[in-house]
Amino acid sequence: MRKAPALVVVLGVFAALVTTVPIGYLAVRLIQGWQAALAEILRFRTLELLGNTGLLVLAVTASALVIGFSQAWLTTKTNVVFAAGFAVSAALPLAIPSYVMALSYISIFNGLSGFFAAWLVLTLATSPLVFLAVTAALARLDSSSEEVARTLGLGKLQVLLKVTWPQVRTAATASGLLVALYVLGEFGAIALLRYDTFTRAIYNAYRGSFDRTSAAALAVVLLLITLLVIWFERKYRGEYVASKKQLGKKLRVDLGIWRLPAALWLGLIAIFSTALPIASLVIWSIQGSANLDLGVLLDALWGSVQLAGLAGIGIGIFGTAIALWSIRYRSRLGQIVEWSSWSIHAVPAIVVGLALVFFGANVTPWIYQTSWLLLIAYLILFLPNALAGLATPIAQVPVLLEEVSQSLGVPANKSMARVVLPIALPGIVAAVSLVGLTVLKELPATLLLRPSSLNTLATRLWGATEDLAYSQAAPYALLLVIIAGLPALALNLQARRALSEVRS
Amino acid sequence: MKKTLSYIVAGALALSLTACSNPLDEDKNSITVYAGRSESLVQPLIDSFQEETGIQVEVRYAGSAELAAQLLEEGQNSPADVFFAQDAGALGAVSKAGLLIQLPDSILEKVPASYSAADGSWIGVSGRVRVLNYNPQRVSQLPQSVFDLAQPEWKGRVGIAPTNASFQAFVTAMQVIEGDAKTLQWLEAMKENAVLYEKNSAILEAVESGAIDAGLINHYYWFARGQEVGFENLTSKIGQFASGDVGNLINAAGVGIVADSKAARQFVEYLLSETGQRYFADQTSEYPLIDGVTAPVDLTPLAEIPAPAIDLNDLDRLDQTLDLIRAAGLI
Repeated sequence: MRKAPALVVVLGVFAALVTTVPIGYLAVRLIQGWQAALAEILRFRTLELLGNTGLLVLAVTASALVIGFSQAWLTTKTNVVFAAGFAVSAALPLAIPSYVMALSYISIFNGLSGFFAAWLVLTLATSPLVFLAVTAALARLDSSSEEVARTLGLGKLQVLLKVTWPQVRTAATASGLLVALYVLGEFGAIALLRYDTFTRAIYNAYRGSFDRTSAAALAVVLLLITLLVIWFERKYRGEYVASKKQLGKKLRVDLGIWRLPAALWLGLIAIFSTALPIASLVIWSIQGSANLDLGVLLDALWGSVQLAGLAGIGIGIFGTAIALWSIRYRSRLGQIVEWSSWSIHAVPAIVVGLALVFFGANVTPWIYQTSWLLLIAYLILFLPNALAGLATPIAQVPVLLEEVSQSLGVPANKSMARVVLPIALPGIVAAVSLVGLTVLKELPATLLLRPSSLNTLATRLWGATEDLAYSQAAPYALLLVIIAGLPALALNLQARRALSEVRS
Repeated sequence: MKKTLSYIVAGALALSLTACSNPLDEDKNSITVYAGRSESLVQPLIDSFQEETGIQVEVRYAGSAELAAQLLEEGQNSPADVFFAQDAGALGAVSKAGLLIQLPDSILEKVPASYSAADGSWIGVSGRVRVLNYNPQRVSQLPQSVFDLAQPEWKGRVGIAPTNASFQAFVTAMQVIEGDAKTLQWLEAMKENAVLYEKNSAILEAVESGAIDAGLINHYYWFARGQEVGFENLTSKIGQFASGDVGNLINAAGVGIVADSKAARQFVEYLLSETGQRYFADQTSEYPLIDGVTAPVDLTPLAEIPAPAIDLNDLDRLDQTLDLIRAAGLI
């Protein structure tokens, strides 16, 4: 077993310690009121919430996997028309915060609510996560085994199911995990669409009754569900294996008579996930632009970009260290650190935010209400997003190259820095963009922890909807979507890069 | 970890106790305000306060409930000097945790005692009235009582916001006046009859668009909407129930002091000055609470609202209210 570099260990352990702050906070709350907490958990309502939440998580994860996978496969491996255009529209919803998606749907379809509404909006909001992960895996896939299968007489569908799917299964299930945890911790869209889940109950416990014990009790149940979901995903997805080979050639599937239906399917999804919400935002923005204060808008834009940039780079560094540790060194401690970063991922942002308020105000007042504590909150909330994006590029750097480098006398740590990281760099940049764009959309923790004078597009958007003027909120939402759209498009290009390299 | 933490908390407590025993901080020239009311509404008033007094005000804007939760977590180490909240519930929660000082009588006497906390830990700044927002084409005769909405004829026609603080305060009032049994019965009927929304504004939106026929909201949402789109363009109207009905509850937004200083008191006094009170009345169509400042002309005077007789200080039993709302299956 190789030993991980000290820097990797220090960064990894720091990140793991930071994620224990919310867990410690929940423990403090539970110990202070364990009887009330137990009473809260042992109510029939908990069971009801469990059912509601489980149903939504399963439904959204399944449909996001189907949609995201079909988009990825059709646009990278087949001769479907407008493949590049459809790929862009498949990635773009990532830039639309789910609460904005929900708002625009409510504005189009009056009174939209309940399970179906929540399922629809969250499926549209999360399938880009699957699309991007699967596209990246497919684009880097070596087609030789598919070709062998074809020559052995397997049909196109059989090749897809028996040869292609197993090779991208790891990437797909990892993105499915992100989707499931996203749904578990989602509040904004679910509140707007009025579907009751654990997370909504946690928010209501804080906001309705200032009942921190009940909220903590429910959050702990959510934490346990998260661990269960992660355990299932790990059991099913198999391991990331460091690749031995270089990229091979690509095979494209001729859809034949299915070319048109496939394009219609992609077009239909594009209308619902991208065209409708953006059209409604543009219409509102035109109505609201009259009252817009440009200075305020630019100030919020600067705040957003600054935070997202810093958080993206910071989390990228921590994430790279942890991914290297758990994939290329395969140490037990490294894996524990990775698990602990994932465990807190579905805990609602308001819980993480309040945990850091408690910790910051009472233990580390010198960073309380500064950007530092906010950045730590982002690290806790979004490290798993980075890890999900980093695992594939880091695993796919051929082990052989590292071995060659070492046989030429370069020390192990230097080989890592000079060979592995540069090759994985495009993937790392993609993960950083993904984190940056997620930070742009974050609201609850930002409101609780930001320096009082710092505003972001998301906080301005919140302020405008509090004033009940949706038209005034729209310009902020639109600008947020445009800004977040840039990394989303970059991610799409990045995922398809390997594809164009071979085609051109 | 927990032990260290408790030492730190104990230390901080001791420090703040000594701070309390000191005479009022006269020289403090900057304060931090946690504001649960919207920035577009409050900031212009705060700007003029800064100009007039030279006191620097740092404002932290967020929802009242989130700020209350934040204050509770911060405990004695809160950087806040003043908590300006949208509703009595948020102030009550912070006050019950012992985080608000008792206001001096010179401030308390500005406003009728019924719009402040019984222990003097916070004071009302502006008043709001619960109303029935309705579509006159669909509702020809106004219901006499909020209890009439429990009748089968209202099934699917009326909107409520069970997670909203103003709705919950209204249910608390119903409990106080009508008792738990009758309140639960009404809530259960509303589970059958009502369409549920997250906010007052969403109810108004739904009544305006015709999705529902009526809804229970605070009066100023309707006025704000009218000012945004023009009163002549509103489809819906607002009305009151019969005299003394709990559906006509008057509630208040208020302010409390977290860390006492001359500057913090000046800020509270400014909100209760004629300038401050007139500002709220003009900007938000809320009711001014001090003597001598009248509400805008198109607003029914507060004294003429057929409000139920209730002491606002009794609205601090939110836990029991939530139990009832939960028991009825509304949240």
